[in-house]
Amino acid sequence: MAAAMELRCWGGDWGLPSVHTDSLVVLAYAKFSGAKLSVSPVDWTWKTLTASVPELVCGDTVVEEPTQILNFLRKQRFNADYELTARQGADTMAYIALLEEKLRPALLHTFWVDAENYSNLTRPWFASRSPFPLNFFIPSRLANAALARILVTRGEGLLHRISEVEGKIYSDAKECLNLLSYRLGTADYFFDNSPTSLDAFAFGFLAPLHKADLASSPLQSHLRQLDNLTRFCDNILAAHFSPDKPCKIAETMDANLQKLTQLVNKESNLIEKMDDNLRSSPQHKPHRAEPKPSLSSSKNSTPA
Amino acid sequence: MSLAAEAFVSQMAGKIPFIHVGNQVVSELGPIVQFTKAKGHSLSDSLDDVQRAEMKAYMELVYNMLLTSELFVQWCDDTTAGEISRPRYSSPYSWPLGNILAYQKQWEVRRKMNAIGWGRKTLEQVYEDVNQCCQALSQRLGTQPYFFNKQATELDALVFGHLFTILTTRLTSTELAERVKSYSNLLSFCRRIEQTYFEDKKLMKD
Repeated sequence: MAAAMELRCWGGDWGLPSVHTDSLVVLAYAKFSGAKLSVSPVDWTWKTLTASVPELVCGDTVVEEPTQILNFLRKQRFNADYELTARQGADTMAYIALLEEKLRPALLHTFWVDAENYSNLTRPWFASRSPFPLNFFIPSRLANAALARILVTRGEGLLHRISEVEGKIYSDAKECLNLLSYRLGTADYFFDNSPTSLDAFAFGFLAPLHKADLASSPLQSHLRQLDNLTRFCDNILAAHFSPDKPCKIAETMDANLQKLTQLVNKESNLIEKMDDNLRSSPQHKPHRAEPKPSLSSSKNSTPA
Repeated sequence: MSLAAEAFVSQMAGKIPFIHVGNQVVSELGPIVQFTKAKGHSLSDSLDDVQRAEMKAYMELVYNMLLTSELFVQWCDDTTAGEISRPRYSSPYSWPLGNILAYQKQWEVRRKMNAIGWGRKTLEQVYEDVNQCCQALSQRLGTQPYFFNKQATELDALVFGHLFTILTTRLTSTELAERVKSYSNLLSFCRRIEQTYFEDKKLMKD
């Protein structure tokens, strides 16, 4: 059922297909699930004022909000979560909630409320992408919406000021990044070896933070210290959003697979050594199998 | 552990619950957990990093979905707000203070719903969200007695608090409670925790 689907979103920069988190989520999911979307950026159009971004138009139906758009794509048989178990599906929901609650306020603050970043990066970018005379008030409208959202969801009363919640939202965000890093480990994607909706959401949240040229951001420097998360973003960019693809994916996957297999081999050797020590008798040799860094798993050593 | 469990019954948005220890008052779930941890009682020490990440993620799911849905049903649905929530909220105060505070609370909650994009949701969509959240929790719980290993953690306390509230609060329609009841392992989870830790309370009605 391939009616033409059109996605309206903000345009791209800094090496990303879009600088807007929600738009990135949808674009990434479309790539993962194989959906063909025609992307029409709202930059330089009056849609920057009227449309809610991102927006998917398919025939007569218009769908907004990333979660609704992903549901719609799944109904159209573009499902990147097909291979997940029920438990993994539940984990997906939980981790997406974690991202929304803990990371989104800090991202909004970094880009829209922090004075230096807003005046040096965000405002000029969005102003330059809006038609005259909207460029005068679109960025400030978005900034006010961001501030309101942070205060309403994180502030605890009608009169709270942003400075009182800043510390809390940044420490929450750093904790969230750490938790994501633990969960990702050394894998390429969050579940097995193929990307799913959780990967799309994580990519949408992390990529702007990773790639933007921010003047002052403790959060960005925190993210840059988490190698596996930055590698995750770069992998997805290289694999799905760049013209030259296959050899790059194979190389990174092989390297990771080799590292993981070596880890597994080392562990199984350790276990064997422990077994041998336990069973230590004079006539048995202490070492049985040499460590082989090959791709085939070498768990065929036989304890006699 | 019983101290932690007792402090977590009847969750409401805002500064309740709080515990009063000596001359210190600690309010809300997060700080209470950290406070008891500093005193040497912690439920999640035996979890490794990945499990702790999962636990935090599921707690956020509960905050994001269940808590928001509860607030929505209580305050954004006109019938429920008018018949139950506002009278209940204004009952400790005399007129007109009670009225003013109740409307202020309602306005605040609606503002929050609009800010996170729930303003345009219908009641049916919210029930569906609760359904999905319960489904995720039910699948994570499976047939285990608690969410992680055989030991209760903060997540169990949080889920119990919310589900117990949903099941026992009287609303204009029992739809929300019915959705939760359709997951039998969650229902037996609530019963088990209630019987294990709160034996003196009377059992939930069927």
